[in-house]
Amino acid sequence: MEQTIKVGWLFNNMFNLHGDRGNLLAIRAEGERRGYRVEVEQINLETVVFNPMDFDFLFCPPGEIEHFEAVAAYLEPHRKELMDYIETRPMLVTGTTVGLFGETISRDDQSAIRGLGIIEIEARENHAVYGDDLYYSCQYNGKEMEIIGSQIQMIDLDIKEESPFGRLKYGYGNNGATKFEGVISGKGIFTNTLGPVLVCNPWLTEEIINLIEVNKNWPIWEDHRDNSLEQASLKTKIVHIDKKETRLKDIAVR
Amino acid sequence: MKFYLALWFAKLMGIAIKLVSKGRGTNLPGEKALTIDPDFVKHFKNIDYSKVIFITGTNGKSSTTNLITHILKENGKKIVSNLEGANLLGGIATVLAKEASLSGKLKADYYVFETDERYLPLIYAQLPAENMLITNLQKDQVQRNGDPDFIIRKLKEVVNPRMTLILNNEEPRSRFFEEIARRSIYYGVSRHDESFNKGADYPTQACPKCHHDMSFDYYNVDSIGAFHCDFCGFASKSTPDYEVTDLNFVEKSFKLKNVVFHMPYDLPFMFYNYAGALAVCEEICGITPAAATKSFENFKNIGGRFEILTYKNKTIKYMRIKQENPDTLQSALNIMASDPSEKMVALGLYVVNDFVPHYINTFYAFDCDFKPVVESNVERYLCFSEHVSYDTANRLIYDGVAKEAITIMDSDDINEIFAEIDKAETDNIYLITWISTFEKMKKFIEGGQN
Repeated sequence: MEQTIKVGWLFNNMFNLHGDRGNLLAIRAEGERRGYRVEVEQINLETVVFNPMDFDFLFCPPGEIEHFEAVAAYLEPHRKELMDYIETRPMLVTGTTVGLFGETISRDDQSAIRGLGIIEIEARENHAVYGDDLYYSCQYNGKEMEIIGSQIQMIDLDIKEESPFGRLKYGYGNNGATKFEGVISGKGIFTNTLGPVLVCNPWLTEEIINLIEVNKNWPIWEDHRDNSLEQASLKTKIVHIDKKETRLKDIAVR
Repeated sequence: MKFYLALWFAKLMGIAIKLVSKGRGTNLPGEKALTIDPDFVKHFKNIDYSKVIFITGTNGKSSTTNLITHILKENGKKIVSNLEGANLLGGIATVLAKEASLSGKLKADYYVFETDERYLPLIYAQLPAENMLITNLQKDQVQRNGDPDFIIRKLKEVVNPRMTLILNNEEPRSRFFEEIARRSIYYGVSRHDESFNKGADYPTQACPKCHHDMSFDYYNVDSIGAFHCDFCGFASKSTPDYEVTDLNFVEKSFKLKNVVFHMPYDLPFMFYNYAGALAVCEEICGITPAAATKSFENFKNIGGRFEILTYKNKTIKYMRIKQENPDTLQSALNIMASDPSEKMVALGLYVVNDFVPHYINTFYAFDCDFKPVVESNVERYLCFSEHVSYDTANRLIYDGVAKEAITIMDSDDINEIFAEIDKAETDNIYLITWISTFEKMKKFIEGGQN
């Protein structure tokens, strides 16, 4: 019988800002390369039955804050299940939506939205947008790696009792004032990285699939992907970062 | 007194700049005048705000403004407009200063201004137009705009119950504003031969009224087409007030209100500009479609997005896209895909360099469907542009192009680009890149490399 990886794509139509569909293409391509069937199920406000544990990987893309309350209301009954889920299973949350999984999102107009409280962070909507390259080191599933991407920052994140996902080599990261990028909680990655991150960094995609294999008691695939194209891309982007003019000060580590 | 000083200064500065370079000075005189009198635009005399029309939105502002102005002028109206595309407050101040008398009096039948959607509140504060056409509100220039809701919030500061809005019937975010305006006029385009669908794994968008998922029956342009929300019933109207119908790509014609028009440009995104312009001309200015039809015969769009170059025995079809904007990229891809003849595709997505910090963004390409291009008889691909070419190639690979079929050039060197074009057996070359590289290529050809 064909082995199947089941992916849940949360609010794909509502949260659709930065070519985020690319992350699904990357997961699918890597899963299929290893001979698995990859099923993607879209979860939206009309989905009647949502059980996170039915999935091997969950992806929640960046969205407009305007829609956060509707999504928070939908996910609130699943809060505990999602917290249990990320203890062992991979989840990727990108961009502004990271704030939704935190405690509170303070809006620019002084109003506030209650987040899901799955990770202990506070989010603040910025008055202006900040867009830039993003480059950092991190560890996932026991593997050290470098991540490259970009960032369109509309909300700043303050970590309370969480570990950052990455340490910045260049970029704005969570709030432009620390070297922290994103949050890792269990196996859940909450990151500002766009790109799409799993396309630009297939080494992270490989680790997510490795983790899924462990969770499903499948043998780990030994034949590594040819990442030469993405390695070349990483290299030329570092050259770009090294020579470019920046508005970042202390944290623009070169 | 400040106003007069500012006005005279702007007029003199405008003349001086024009003496040095004819095409310049569309913004600076107004900007300087605004430093002398911060309420400069507010102080002009004789402007009837019911005759002021703003054209705003993500894509199509310039073309729509050009066409409205052209139709009105052809019908004998005196128009003040920022045709050169300087669409911030400084640009509008420059035009008004140029057109006004020395005492600041203006005399025009209508004022038609392209307005940058981000700066609309600033412009409206000094020039409270009572009419506004919204072309569409889409993902665009995310480094400064973030997301479409960021722009919607800007427009909410301006749209009010005194306004007449001219709205794109098939674009949900623009249609959202119908709830606020005094009167809304709807324009649209019927389904045509180049309408298309996207696969189920391409996201749509949330309903701006109830947050639930929207469905599109088809697209006429990316993100624009007949839509509906099953949850709250919000949907495009089946027959908008002004609808372009009977699009005939062979005879280059279309109909609106049973009047036959010559189609000056057969590019799908232009059809919405035609419909919107005709709606404004009749509803605001009293020029009927029948009276407007003749002006379509000699309409020339300023700064269009499509140009053709002849290089050796090859035809290079250049399509200018807006960076960070999936909709213009998708439109360009659709044009390529609709050509079944053998072709070379040269893609030079590039570092976004509008302001510091410059950054690399190719993620918007994942909103676009490349498959129709991949299936449209492509002999070879060239992905070029420093720091970005590998990501561009990767986007193609994810839609089924073999890595070996792509030449990747981590460079913007014109000679290298032409050397690759020389290698193509086909004489049919499609080129997407930024205007600066294109201009260099144009000069290369004009310099005798032909």
